[in-house]
Amino acid sequence: MACIWRLSVLCSAQGGRVLLRTPVVRPAHVSAFLQDRPTPGWCGTQHIHLSPSRHSGSKAASLHWTGERVVSVLLLGLLPAAYLNPSSAMDYSLAAVLTLHSHWGLGQVATDYVQASALQKAAKAGILALSALTFAGLCYFNYHDVGICKAVAMLWKL
Amino acid sequence: MAALLLRHVGRHCLRAHLGPQLCVRNWSLPMAMSICHRGTGVALSAGVSLFGLSALVLPGNFESYLELVKSLSLGPALIHTAKFALVFPLMYHTWNGIRHLMWDLGKGLKIPQLYQSGVLVLVLTVLTSAGLAAM
Repeated sequence: MACIWRLSVLCSAQGGRVLLRTPVVRPAHVSAFLQDRPTPGWCGTQHIHLSPSRHSGSKAASLHWTGERVVSVLLLGLLPAAYLNPSSAMDYSLAAVLTLHSHWGLGQVATDYVQASALQKAAKAGILALSALTFAGLCYFNYHDVGICKAVAMLWKL
Repeated sequence: MAALLLRHVGRHCLRAHLGPQLCVRNWSLPMAMSICHRGTGVALSAGVSLFGLSALVLPGNFESYLELVKSLSLGPALIHTAKFALVFPLMYHTWNGIRHLMWDLGKGLKIPQLYQSGVLVLVLTVLTSAGLAAM
């Protein structure tokens, strides 16, 4: 499954020159699809076809990004649903989606603020441990105690 | 007035050799709201993790802890304030989260729209937090 990138070139002569004349080693299958080098001041778009084997890293990152948005929307829907329809299934769904959303969120914070690669790996491992323990704790609460929905209701009746 | 206050902070920052982010002279609403989105996110995560870990580690069940809080005979004003304090970061993060999802759809990215949606999020946050705390 090939990804298609559209390269929009700025219409100013300066912009076009800077963007297209940077020396770049392109794999053969990419060059085959690129059009002839345009003249300066050319405005338009180019289509570059890339095979997944060369860019699986960016494909994984793109899927992760989409996954994050899907989970966010899911959590958004679960909040009113849990209020209107509290149940055991809702408790476990809430536990799963909440911990996943927070796990990925903390992962973004680690990526942004922890630079060194060894330290970042340690931070990510720590976050994984925390998320795993949190999920275990919430499931334990759902099973052995009143469950998340009931707990919030009880807390609010205080 | 908030901008003047923050500039004052910025000047002190430079003298105290603190991080450059804090010393950016012109803070903007979108910038501050973005930091708060991250802050509330981390705080909410910490709260959920604390709850989950407590369930694993602390003795007794949830009801016994609620009874403990009830036995403190806290005034209704304090309880109401505590509920507001709990629900405020959640509401802020939720409404600003929706704003983020709108941006991901490509909507509302013009600068004036950024400020308008930002103010809307703040207003909604206060209103819904007050509403939920009163329930």
